[in-house]
Amino acid sequence: MDSNSSKNNAGRLSEPGRVHSRFASLAAAEYGLSSAAAPATHQPEKKIRLVSEAQGGMDRSCHQEVFTVGEGEHLDITFIVLPGTSAEIPVTVDITGPGAEVELKGIYLSSGTDNVTFDITMNHRVGGSISRQLFNGLATDKAKCAFNGKIIVAQDAQKTEAYQENHNIVLSDDATVDTKPQLEIYADDVKCSHGATVGKLNEDEQFYMRSRGIPEDEAKVLQMISFVAPVLAGIEDEDLTAKIENAIRSL
Amino acid sequence: MSLLKITGLRAGIGDKEILKGIDLEIGPGEIHAVMGPNGAGKSTLSAVLTGKPDYEVTAGTIEFMGRNLLEMKPEERAWAGLFMSFQYPIEIPGVSITNFMKTAINSKRKSEGLGPIKGGDFLKLMKEKMALVQMKPEFAKREVNVGFSGGEKKRNEIFQMAMLDPVLAILDETDSGLDVDALKIVADGVNALHTPEKSAIVITHYQKLLEYVKPDKVHILKDGKIVAEGGRELIDKIESDGFEQF
Ligand SMILES: Nc1ncnc2c1ncn2[C@@H]1O[C@H](COP(=O)(O)OP(=O)(O)OP(=O)(O)O)[C@@H](O)[C@H]1O
Ligand SMILES: [Mg+2]
Repeated sequence: MDSNSSKNNAGRLSEPGRVHSRFASLAAAEYGLSSAAAPATHQPEKKIRLVSEAQGGMDRSCHQEVFTVGEGEHLDITFIVLPGTSAEIPVTVDITGPGAEVELKGIYLSSGTDNVTFDITMNHRVGGSISRQLFNGLATDKAKCAFNGKIIVAQDAQKTEAYQENHNIVLSDDATVDTKPQLEIYADDVKCSHGATVGKLNEDEQFYMRSRGIPEDEAKVLQMISFVAPVLAGIEDEDLTAKIENAIRSL
Repeated sequence: MSLLKITGLRAGIGDKEILKGIDLEIGPGEIHAVMGPNGAGKSTLSAVLTGKPDYEVTAGTIEFMGRNLLEMKPEERAWAGLFMSFQYPIEIPGVSITNFMKTAINSKRKSEGLGPIKGGDFLKLMKEKMALVQMKPEFAKREVNVGFSGGEKKRNEIFQMAMLDPVLAILDETDSGLDVDALKIVADGVNALHTPEKSAIVITHYQKLLEYVKPDKVHILKDGKIVAEGGRELIDKIESDGFEQF
């Protein structure tokens, strides 16, 4: 285990309330760095997966989606779950070759009686590979969200790097979020870290913004946008960002 | 007519009463210094004036430009021309100074029935006001107060004040933690915004700032009450004999 990253996460977790949004900017920086480090010739195709009930397929049907990532291959998927969607999203990533790089990200914005569950299994079968996960969620009304994120590093998968972050903001008394990171690490020469937080929007930030004339609702929107922004770093799709901003305003 | 009139103000948090009957009147163009020992209630007074939700007003009235301030939301108070430079400015990760200021200015314009400020006008204003407090242009892109040094945070407060151009500015220990040059810059910034109509409440522990920003009146706040009032001679009295005498 990389003791530094574990310690960092412990520090972030010990400060609920402020953590997520501050974390968000940290994560942005980390992600920026890591993608810059990837060789230009191997720029992964960034896939966006807009999860909606109408699409059928994996939503609510528990179809296990399995991605196999071989030697030198890159996978970059961002799941977007907009309000009004209930879905179970089981995803398994099998890393089968060295030099593989995986970015698995997600935003879930849940309201009403939405019920959203991510079941992620990141399976490092072979060493010398990297996986990064970042999932940020906002839950309001009576929404129920769950994030189950398992990282498995096989005994021979030395020099694996596996990172996972899941941050949540609960906006109402009745919404619930359950976050369960799970690490099964059988190799000894690895860098792994995970961090999970559940908190509220910071009220001191809100008062500061309001004291400058930003209305309360607008202040909250700014906070929520900055909270999900790191997940969207590197995605230049104005329609999508507009859609997400509208969804945030509707929460 | 006075700009601000506080009468019999009592306020606190939960069961704890912090302000125990405050009377204070500020006229247009006046600068008032509020001094007092740690824990006297100076920041509480600022918080109550700007409408911080945690505080409960149990008695008294506050009139600002003829309006009942206590009925106004914090953002409405800002639109009416009230501004506080925070003793401990808040960090807002993920929100740039540019975005923050643009949203603030456009919110006020919207409240007045105006459309958003033109991009060019906004940039010009930013440039001008950043120069006023000698803030480097690259700060415009930085997240609000995140990773700022103590002095940079205070300068950022005065920059925001200059951008919003308030009628009454409350400076809560804006001078604390500033080096001599920064103190001069902040004081010049405050003086540059001071017109015959604009007033300020300067909360401070040090006479240095008050040499640059000259108060018309000095109030001593101790244990939630104003225990002495007068002119600048009070500042010297405190400097030599402390707050015990009151
Ligand atoms: N949230 C709070 N909960 C409990 N007590 C509080 C709270 N905020 C302020 N107080 C108390 O109210 C009193 C006045 O605090 P305040 O911050 O207004 O003092 P101050 O005059 O600004 O002091 P300083 O010069 O140290 O900044 C203090 O005793 C403080 O501990
Ligand atoms: Mg104070």
